[in-house]
Amino acid sequence: MSAVVYGVGTTKFGRQPGRSGSSLGQEAILEALGDAGVDSVDAVYAGTVFGAPGTAQRALQDAGITAVPVLTFENACATSSTAFHEARHAVMSGRYERVLCLGIETMTSSFDGPITPEVTDSEGRAGLALPGVYALVASRYAYLHGLDTKALAQLAVKNRRHGSFNPRAQHGKEVTLEEVLASRMVADPLTLYQCCDISDAATAAVVGVPRGNDRDVRIAGSALRSGRLWDHRSTQPWGYELMGEVAAAAWEDAGIGPEEIDLFEVHDAFTIGELTATEALGLTAPGGGADLVLSGHTALGGRQPVNPSGGLLSRGHPLGATGLAQIAEAVWQLRGDAGGRQVEGARVAAVETMGGGTAGIDGNGCVVVVLGG
Amino acid sequence: MPQRENEVESMSSATADPRPRAVVSGGAVTVAGWRCRDCAHPMTHEVLRCPVCRGGTGAAAFSPQGEVFASTCLRIRVPGHEPPFAMAYLLLDDGPRVLVHTEGEQPLRVGSRAVITSITADGDLVAAGCEQEES
Ligand SMILES: [Zn+2]
Repeated sequence: MSAVVYGVGTTKFGRQPGRSGSSLGQEAILEALGDAGVDSVDAVYAGTVFGAPGTAQRALQDAGITAVPVLTFENACATSSTAFHEARHAVMSGRYERVLCLGIETMTSSFDGPITPEVTDSEGRAGLALPGVYALVASRYAYLHGLDTKALAQLAVKNRRHGSFNPRAQHGKEVTLEEVLASRMVADPLTLYQCCDISDAATAAVVGVPRGNDRDVRIAGSALRSGRLWDHRSTQPWGYELMGEVAAAAWEDAGIGPEEIDLFEVHDAFTIGELTATEALGLTAPGGGADLVLSGHTALGGRQPVNPSGGLLSRGHPLGATGLAQIAEAVWQLRGDAGGRQVEGARVAAVETMGGGTAGIDGNGCVVVVLGG
Repeated sequence: MPQRENEVESMSSATADPRPRAVVSGGAVTVAGWRCRDCAHPMTHEVLRCPVCRGGTGAAAFSPQGEVFASTCLRIRVPGHEPPFAMAYLLLDDGPRVLVHTEGEQPLRVGSRAVITSITADGDLVAAGCEQEES
């Protein structure tokens, strides 16, 4: 048995402190149900990272979805990608015919500024905030391969340009290379415009058994796992080997390789995250990520656009809702519904979400999904 | 299994602060950790069994010297830490990799040597580069 996406829905992304998780959730759920053409589901696989207990049930009751199994996942940034991967397998196994996936995050009511590090974590307690985690990735990457900070900044220019075509993006304005380089330094070498913003949003998708509907999008493959120990024995930047391992499993599951993918939505929480993801996913050899950006290969109009939605850098990063936002973009692209940011002739898309924050392992969890084909 | 009960008891006190611990004695710093008795895997926090081979573990002291694996300087507000503050992963000689704070705003050069010199009042490890100042 295979599984397909019937429909997707999202709210706008941005600082919406006046809106409750239930309000955001209802909007995403109702859009997804309408897009799917269904009014009931057999189960709900939800996700939130910072949401209060019962966040999913509060939104679901208001959207008229009750008396079904509701499971809430937490897997850091990969939370709703994890829910999607598990929903796919629940459908494939025959357990359910139709599962609603849901991601809800209301971050501006939880944090004054950036996400504060977790004090029960050894590195969080030492003050290593997430921009620092990725800055250390950039530092290690530069040591191994060399890193042109202008190429890194150009990646932000690319994604913000893509985001200018995305009416739901939090930061839908283009930025110049000079502006990216001149923006405030957050964690060397990452400047402000190379860091995603916190965001309030909800996202949803309905996954079900194939029903012969042309608008449905096939889930060709997916993989999920947590990072191995990342310690004194490791030579690679944080997360790199986990992304590579999960991607390899997803390509094998789908029977499709990275060269056959028409567009990617990857985890560009920080510019360096996209750069390392493109290498780990196999778009290029290790050390080749900057050339992909500078040559235009990964820009809209290039051979394999990466983050045509604008990515997390444009859309914002409502942690538990981000994975399904990436899935929604892939679905819109494969249906030809992506408007000004449409990748011409898109047939196959890949989504990668990387969740982190726990010291000692190569990532809390990474998910790679292949859609279409 | 009384031994097991003791292990759990000692763990509960050791996990209150999750950061690596260092001991300063006579001006010299050593990093206090644990090592697997079977595979020699070094660790900065106490575990019931070695995560690599499930062997038993014992207390160990590690050299404060090592090689810089990666480095940065954070320039944003982080509770309990006044920006800017530089940090580095330090790969201790024959020991674990630890996250340290370093002096000033300039991140230590990756691949260079550094040594843990002190512990802040709040409990963070502080390291200094061993390179000569370039003239
Ligand atoms: Zn061992």
